Amino acid sequence: MEKNKTQVEEINRNIYDIKNKDDYDFKIKKGLTKEIINEISDQKKDPDWMREFRLKALEVYNKLELPTWGPDLSELNMNEIATYVRPKSKLNTSWEDVPEDIKNTFDKLGIPEAEKTSLAGVGAQYDSEVVYHSMKEDLIKQGVIYTDMETAVREYPELVKEHFMKCVPVYDHKFVALHGAVWSGGSFVYVPKNVKVDIPLQSYFRLNSPESGQFEHTLIIVEEGASLHFIEGCSAPKYNKVNLHAGCVELYVKDNAYLRYSTIENWSKNMLNLNTKKAIVGKNAKMDWVSGSFGSKISMLYPMSILNGEGSKTEFTGISFAGKGQNLDNGFKVIHNAKNTSSVINAKSISKNGGTCTYRSLVRINENAKNSKCSVSCESLMLDDISKSDTIPVNDIRTDEVEFSHEAKIGKISDKAIFYLMSRGLSEEDAKAMIVRGFAYPISKELPLEYAVEMNNLINLELEGAIG
Amino acid sequence: MSEKLLEIKDLCVSAGEKEILNGINLKINKGEIHVIMGPNGSGKTTTANAILNNPEYTKTNGKILFEDEDITDLKTDEIARKGVFMSFQLPEEIPGISVTNFLKYAKNKITGEPVKIFAFKEELKKYMEELKMNPKNMERSLNVGFSGGEKKKNEILQMLVLNPKLAILDETDSGLDVDAIKTVSKGIEMFKNKDNAVLIITHNTKILHSLKVDYVHILVDGKIVKTGNQDLATIIENEGYGKYKNK
Amino acid sequence: MPDLKLNETPVRTARNFNCNNIVLKDLKIPENYKAFNNIEIDIDNSKIDLEEEISSSKLTYGLGDLLEEQAMKSPNKKIKLNIKGKSNKESIISFNFNEENKNLIDNIEIIAEENSKANIFIKYSFSNSTACKNANCENIMCEKGKNSEKLNNSYENYYHNGIIRLFAKANSSIKLTVVNLLNEVSQNFLSIENNLQENANLDFCIVDFGGKNSITNYYTNLEGEASKNNLNAIYLGKDEQVFDLNYIGALRGKKSVMNIEVQGALNGKSKKNFKGTLDFKRGAKKAKGDENEFCMLLSDTAKSLALPMLLCEEEDVEGNHSTAAGKLGGKELFYIMSRGFNKKEAMKLIVRAKFNKILDTISKEDLKNEILKEIDNRLN
Repeated sequence: MEKNKTQVEEINRNIYDIKNKDDYDFKIKKGLTKEIINEISDQKKDPDWMREFRLKALEVYNKLELPTWGPDLSELNMNEIATYVRPKSKLNTSWEDVPEDIKNTFDKLGIPEAEKTSLAGVGAQYDSEVVYHSMKEDLIKQGVIYTDMETAVREYPELVKEHFMKCVPVYDHKFVALHGAVWSGGSFVYVPKNVKVDIPLQSYFRLNSPESGQFEHTLIIVEEGASLHFIEGCSAPKYNKVNLHAGCVELYVKDNAYLRYSTIENWSKNMLNLNTKKAIVGKNAKMDWVSGSFGSKISMLYPMSILNGEGSKTEFTGISFAGKGQNLDNGFKVIHNAKNTSSVINAKSISKNGGTCTYRSLVRINENAKNSKCSVSCESLMLDDISKSDTIPVNDIRTDEVEFSHEAKIGKISDKAIFYLMSRGLSEEDAKAMIVRGFAYPISKELPLEYAVEMNNLINLELEGAIG
Repeated sequence: MSEKLLEIKDLCVSAGEKEILNGINLKINKGEIHVIMGPNGSGKTTTANAILNNPEYTKTNGKILFEDEDITDLKTDEIARKGVFMSFQLPEEIPGISVTNFLKYAKNKITGEPVKIFAFKEELKKYMEELKMNPKNMERSLNVGFSGGEKKKNEILQMLVLNPKLAILDETDSGLDVDAIKTVSKGIEMFKNKDNAVLIITHNTKILHSLKVDYVHILVDGKIVKTGNQDLATIIENEGYGKYKNK
Repeated sequence: MPDLKLNETPVRTARNFNCNNIVLKDLKIPENYKAFNNIEIDIDNSKIDLEEEISSSKLTYGLGDLLEEQAMKSPNKKIKLNIKGKSNKESIISFNFNEENKNLIDNIEIIAEENSKANIFIKYSFSNSTACKNANCENIMCEKGKNSEKLNNSYENYYHNGIIRLFAKANSSIKLTVVNLLNEVSQNFLSIENNLQENANLDFCIVDFGGKNSITNYYTNLEGEASKNNLNAIYLGKDEQVFDLNYIGALRGKKSVMNIEVQGALNGKSKKNFKGTLDFKRGAKKAKGDENEFCMLLSDTAKSLALPMLLCEEEDVEGNHSTAAGKLGGKELFYIMSRGFNKKEAMKLIVRAKFNKILDTISKEDLKNEILKEIDNRLN
């Protein structure tokens, strides 16, 4: 039987690729200098402490080196990137008030639709600023805060000062420092003690402007005994030159609290996605990550849980799908820093059409983390012989009272499984697609329905032209 | 009235370097139940896989006709859509897709028509009761973590739902206890009618106690060495394959 | 002396994960050393020729340039084994460190001709020249611990830097066992490199017990179709020993197979970095690789770092790896103690049981017994 091999075709990304005119209210000149940072601060009417913070972060940025490992970032030239683009829209609380072309984009991505049916609140960011934010009445009454980061800096200065870039300090790595200098937009969520937010909140990030960067800052504080599910979606149309995304997500999960953070990342394939996400988890609290990574030209994304509280737990469920021209270097980091902590990591990847997936991770169980447990499972699927898949997990165990195990597998779709499905009338393409969807199911089942559907569509979209 | 469904002519098949079948001839008419028996390694499973054109096997000679159409080189799914079904000796585990969804999807592929959900679910429920299957299994991933018996019953369920013209059952009875074999036989009886046919491949005769068959073929070293009626199975049961092996 | 960076991994990862290499501070690399004389060589002369002229080509991996240069340019022992036929006897090369022989820089090359076969042991051990003649070897080892400070000074120059290279031609079948039983004040450096041609079969076994630092680089190039390499290794750390193991298999040939099985135990404040890489190169269709590493932590100050890498640029392969770490199972320990063993004895029993699978592949009984005895000593 003839084996069908990968075609090297661009995939039609239809709705994600809608380009609006690069029609902005203000776009800062390209590059990264003290003047530019001051200009951003002026434009954003930063309080003094924030302006100083930005300038200090710039200094750190200039001192730090590019990583000496992972994907090649040499094509990134900060002199060619505009770090701040203000869309022609103010922050709206009514969807009707959002300008037409921006509204259309989000309409097609299904954002307001999802709000009506299954979300407790929605935020939408277009380029560097949030254009829409709303939340259900009853949550406001319970004291839940869900707003854009700029409003938070103005209205909740104490809360912001106490937490802003404390979980992810600017000297963590070069792109965190960059973020600290030029951050704009993003969401701020505060869930008061013992308040359970049963339906998810969602922020959607859209980068429209070419040769620009998005640097949104997400700060979530879930107080003691409270719970929240937060969803983050991202996309951008494709341009020929690189765009940069260096967002930062800081999550504080206090004692006995619960936070689930889900992401479907579908940036266009000219995007360098150098995002940083970190959570500090308190006593008996739990932090769950669900992550689907489909887009981007280069992605370096390693969410991190720091289990500081006794009995805290974390779970990571993630999938990466790399196609032609993509290098997705993703993974997870966990630090066990207290007694009786536990972590479960489930990572999957699919490589096809010349794409590269790398799973990179760190598990560290410190001396003080007696009686902790960690189990890791990685599975990589190779869909052809021109792609690449690497697994680079570091397991650093510093005490004996632990249960640690790590398992990884790499290989192709089994011929036997394909034959079995074909004997039931499925074509080879259908059979492979079914197996791949099944492979991704542990992740898609963790997502809200709309996102699971979106993820399956993305998989079908990615497989179109890949198989058959 | 007999009508020809499957015809195998001079079929030779090899796997890798090794020749397994060397010149099989077989005719199956509508309304008939055939049994191929033979010792381990005689080529029984190869025969079933060759009919469905498993790419792991290479046909070096001969033809397979289904309803007078040459299906020798068709792809597996095309053969399946013509109405040939195979119950696997070792059904594959497919994580992440539920039995219900899989069957719905496969049924749509086989019939080419949209599946009416309500009627489909009713049908499924009925079959499962007959086969004494645990309804919870329907929402579990296909064959994943199923016991040997559950897998085999699941194959029979698929046969009933997809309703092929020819069902090939490869060692469906092996590894099952007496009660399960009875259930499987019952499934075959439910399926069987004058317009379809069944080809049972087995190395023991247990399943033939509760099923009436028309022809028994003895397969040894890649060739059918003897064909007879149900009595032949009884002879094999008592005497074994010894005397055919020497040939 | 500048810091010495050794044993780079094939692929780098984040620097603060501390595993791209091992850095040794203030390491004294001896420059003037005399000949190493305490060597016993007992080989199957009928099938194996002993020569001295060895290849001068560079290693593909190796521990690092500085050490490689020393071992290539100025070794104090060169050995070449030419395996011409099928040898069914055990051949052994044994290096015995003592007060007169403190520095060994050895360069060993083994050529296995087509269809040849051999079972070779290379042993690095230490014996106090007076102690070893004494039947009661263990007691003297124990006493050493008590006066360790004094002894540390006199022993601080024990140094081993070696290269072992194997070229296994088509259809050859080689068993190679390397045993490190050096003392705890030695520096042990070893670069191993194997090249396997078509159908070559290599069973490699490493017993890694000794040395203050024991740094090993192991690289097999599975170039030939259906070539196969089993690597079995055990390590056993105590006190402040540091092990850095960098094992790499590059699968290039179709249907090539690499299995890495590592069992280890760490006591005291010992530390181990295990870096194992299965690298499936494009074209290695139907290649298979398996890698398992298990580390028993026998004390709450022992540290285990593991980086089991799978690199893959070929679709039609099967690769698996697993690592695990933890302390001895309470149930297991309880069961054995309920049969009248004290905790230390029970612990020894379990460690030995875990090691047995690998030790059983060592055919040389006297050597195996020596290793078992050493396990007991080290767990005291």
